[in-house]
Amino acid sequence: MHIPDAFIPMGQALVYWVIALVFIALALRWARRSMGEEKIPLVAVLAAGIFAIQALNIPIPWGTSGHMVGAALAAIVLGSPFAGVFVLTLVLLVQGIIFGDGGITVMGANIVNMGVVGGFIGYYGYTAVKAVIGNAYAAAFIAGWASLFISAILCAIELAVAGTFPLALGLTMMGTYHAVIGLIEGGITAVALYLIASARPDILERPTGVSA
Amino acid sequence: METKRFVVIGIAVALVIAVAAPFLASGNPDGLESAFFSIYEAKPFMGSELDEDAAGAAEEQVIATTGNDFSYGALMPDYSIPGMDKTGEVLAVVIGTLLMLALVFAVAKVSARPDN
Repeated sequence: MHIPDAFIPMGQALVYWVIALVFIALALRWARRSMGEEKIPLVAVLAAGIFAIQALNIPIPWGTSGHMVGAALAAIVLGSPFAGVFVLTLVLLVQGIIFGDGGITVMGANIVNMGVVGGFIGYYGYTAVKAVIGNAYAAAFIAGWASLFISAILCAIELAVAGTFPLALGLTMMGTYHAVIGLIEGGITAVALYLIASARPDILERPTGVSA
Repeated sequence: METKRFVVIGIAVALVIAVAAPFLASGNPDGLESAFFSIYEAKPFMGSELDEDAAGAAEEQVIATTGNDFSYGALMPDYSIPGMDKTGEVLAVVIGTLLMLALVFAVAKVSARPDN
């Protein structure tokens, strides 16, 4: 879902950068307040894992493919939507600058879509669904799916505003493809949460409430 | 599981995925690219045949629409090393994974509160 440079006019790209910078500042404040020394290596490993798995595009039907974003996973594991913003901002920086994946002028939009929306929908979706159905892993699956799907819907709206995609067509196609790609996001989010909860239950800010 | 062991296993898992990714990753365009090609009629919505000429024309049309002609030459474009084949792709993802590890570690170290 990485938007390339040409897809958004410069002025609009700047607006998304401003929004992104506000959330990046808040994410740094979260890191200062909530991330203790002992967690730093674990956050670094989580980010490295998210980067590696993002490079693995999984085929879905209709000649397209999709990969995990990971903001929901980071937010759920570290117990804050800002953890998703923190990790995804750094992942997107490296992807854009070193690997040409996602534009530079539009990086703000990519951070908003994947980091901010992914982190917030992932975290609050997980909290809300878990409160209702009780199962942490089912909640992680649903939150992972929703974080990706809603990011894609927002992306379609941004590209409609940019004049790149017609609104109805953009929503239909982005929605359809990402409803399927979201299953990958949800599945990996649930499995990774299970593995982390099994190995290091103490890392989780909120216990999963399921004996691993 | 102690932190050191968790970190070592975590890095090992990330590197295994990184090495495998270039061999397993789909060559099909991702969801956004696919939607883009379909909207500009270079690829059917529910099919896979991509018309390369139409895809090229679509890219030019987008630049003309948005006026954003900024272009940037990445060091390792599309997770590859120019002039190298599969080995370059494996190296690119491995380098990226290790770089990620170092960068997040450094930024977290600087931003986290030191007394905790």
